[in-house]
Amino acid sequence: MVQFSIPLILLLLLLFYGGTFWISVRIGKRNENADGYMTAGNKLGFGISAASMTATWIWASSLYASATSGYTYGISGPIHYGLWGALMILFIYPFGRRIRAVAPKAHTLAEVMFARHGRSSQLMLAGSNVVGSVISLMSNFLAGGVLIALLSPLNFIQGVFTVALGVLLYSLWSGFRASVLTDFVQVVAMLGAVVVIVPVIFFAAGFPAAFEIGAANLTAQQSNFFSSEAFLKQGAPYIAAVLAYAIGNQTIAQRLFAVDERLIKPTFITATVGYGATVIGIGMLGVLALYLGIEPVDGDVNNIIPQMALTYLPPILLVLFFIMVIGALSSTADSDLAALSSIAMADVYGQNVAGKKNANPRTMLLIGRITMVLATAVAISFASLQLSILDLLVFVGALWGALVFPVIASFYWKKVTNKAFTVSVLVALACFLPVRFGWFPVDGAMGYLVDVFNVIGIGVVLGLMVFGFFGLRPAVTVGLIAMVASAPFVIGFLHDYATLSGSLVAYAVSAVVCFAMSVRSKENFDFAVIKRRTGDFDPEPEERHPDDSPEQLAPVPAAKGNQQ
Amino acid sequence: MSTIWLTLYVLVWPVIVAVVLGVLVTAFTKEWLESRRTGEDLV
Repeated sequence: MVQFSIPLILLLLLLFYGGTFWISVRIGKRNENADGYMTAGNKLGFGISAASMTATWIWASSLYASATSGYTYGISGPIHYGLWGALMILFIYPFGRRIRAVAPKAHTLAEVMFARHGRSSQLMLAGSNVVGSVISLMSNFLAGGVLIALLSPLNFIQGVFTVALGVLLYSLWSGFRASVLTDFVQVVAMLGAVVVIVPVIFFAAGFPAAFEIGAANLTAQQSNFFSSEAFLKQGAPYIAAVLAYAIGNQTIAQRLFAVDERLIKPTFITATVGYGATVIGIGMLGVLALYLGIEPVDGDVNNIIPQMALTYLPPILLVLFFIMVIGALSSTADSDLAALSSIAMADVYGQNVAGKKNANPRTMLLIGRITMVLATAVAISFASLQLSILDLLVFVGALWGALVFPVIASFYWKKVTNKAFTVSVLVALACFLPVRFGWFPVDGAMGYLVDVFNVIGIGVVLGLMVFGFFGLRPAVTVGLIAMVASAPFVIGFLHDYATLSGSLVAYAVSAVVCFAMSVRSKENFDFAVIKRRTGDFDPEPEERHPDDSPEQLAPVPAAKGNQQ
Repeated sequence: MSTIWLTLYVLVWPVIVAVVLGVLVTAFTKEWLESRRTGEDLV
């Protein structure tokens, strides 16, 4: 197998991480701004925001998993991975506009939940964000280690450390500002590589003629664009996760709060198309491998993409392929570091330790940087365990499903209380875990009960998707129609698919409990309060509102202002 | 799917990616030039 020499791999890594570090140094400020470190001033332009959103959402695992889906499920496989992943970005934007309208200068979604409900809701959301980002960080370091070990004489551990330290190096000082600016360079490298690599492999491997020669390598399901197997095993669980990933992922929320409020729609739509085309395009390599009858090395389907690259690309394009994967994993890893640091700064220190009135921006910056170092160390440790990342992500995605309805409802419905939010999420998790992990047999009456919640879950997911774009009445109509139409097919059937069932049960239970506890509540929340209780950690005095609580009104000590 | 449709199905994605890349680079360049002209930070 072709490998890079040690001097070449070190040169490539030096150029990549040295270049991104140089970019971060160019924008670095001696006294960084704590709010800038988290959201870059809330006024990013369309180009840099859309590039950053695209780069962040494309990670190494999404490239590998899309190709795996193509190799496993055939010609529709990459669609059932990439399309639904892309729609995660699209479906969050109408909610994103509402979130920015009520909290224009927030830093994290959990921070907004603190202003809306209180501590328990905030910490539940922040906790789920932390788990997701640490898993994502670990996954990207792991992918980097595997790739470097595969393509060079360096071993896995050396690869993990190189990638982790490279990302930390350019992210540490300027945080989110460095993340979004380097994202642009990384997305140019990634998208440019896809434009070149996919057609080159296509023709080098003997396509289109190979479609006819290799057709016998595909099963009937793999040859069918409308494969039910691909839909049920790959597509459907992702559709269920569409809203969950978007709500539960702080990297998306952070960009939502960073982009100029007027540019949310074009930013999210461009990122949707960019992500979808890139990931589906790379996934086509899995389909080509299937037609060619290629067997993955060591039986590991994650090796399909590197195998195709090593077999069909000339050395110069192999370098481009390497940069594409390193760019994908680094852009997501730096976003995860920025997300984790923001949660530690705003949610842990800013809201819960010091309190907003006493939060010192200089201390916040120190906490943010320490968080990045600690998160890197933790992710390196976990990466060495080589856990099944996709299994962990599917699990976390379903966990996030329990949060979706309570979070979204909290931005629109005045009656939702902190108690309703907290109880509904906890009850949903308590129902999700046994269904997802088969803690009890789901046959007979229990199976039917699970399927009833599956039906409700389908209605909730589709209803929420419609609600974001068209409002309450169409959402309720679509949700009810979806439940009625799906019931005959779901009842007595879907409980056998534990991953999908667990996710739908989480949606259904949280929605039912949250609705039941809120509908009779006397709560009449004033959403204008959120705008006043979130935002910059050193606000101007005139930004304060006389209706705020005494704690909110406390003057900001002059000594802590180090803003530029 | 016939061979020609399969070929289009596989190769359409890099074309879409190229279009998106063009949009991103154009927009970024405009923002970068604007930030240089006004003296404001890009991020």
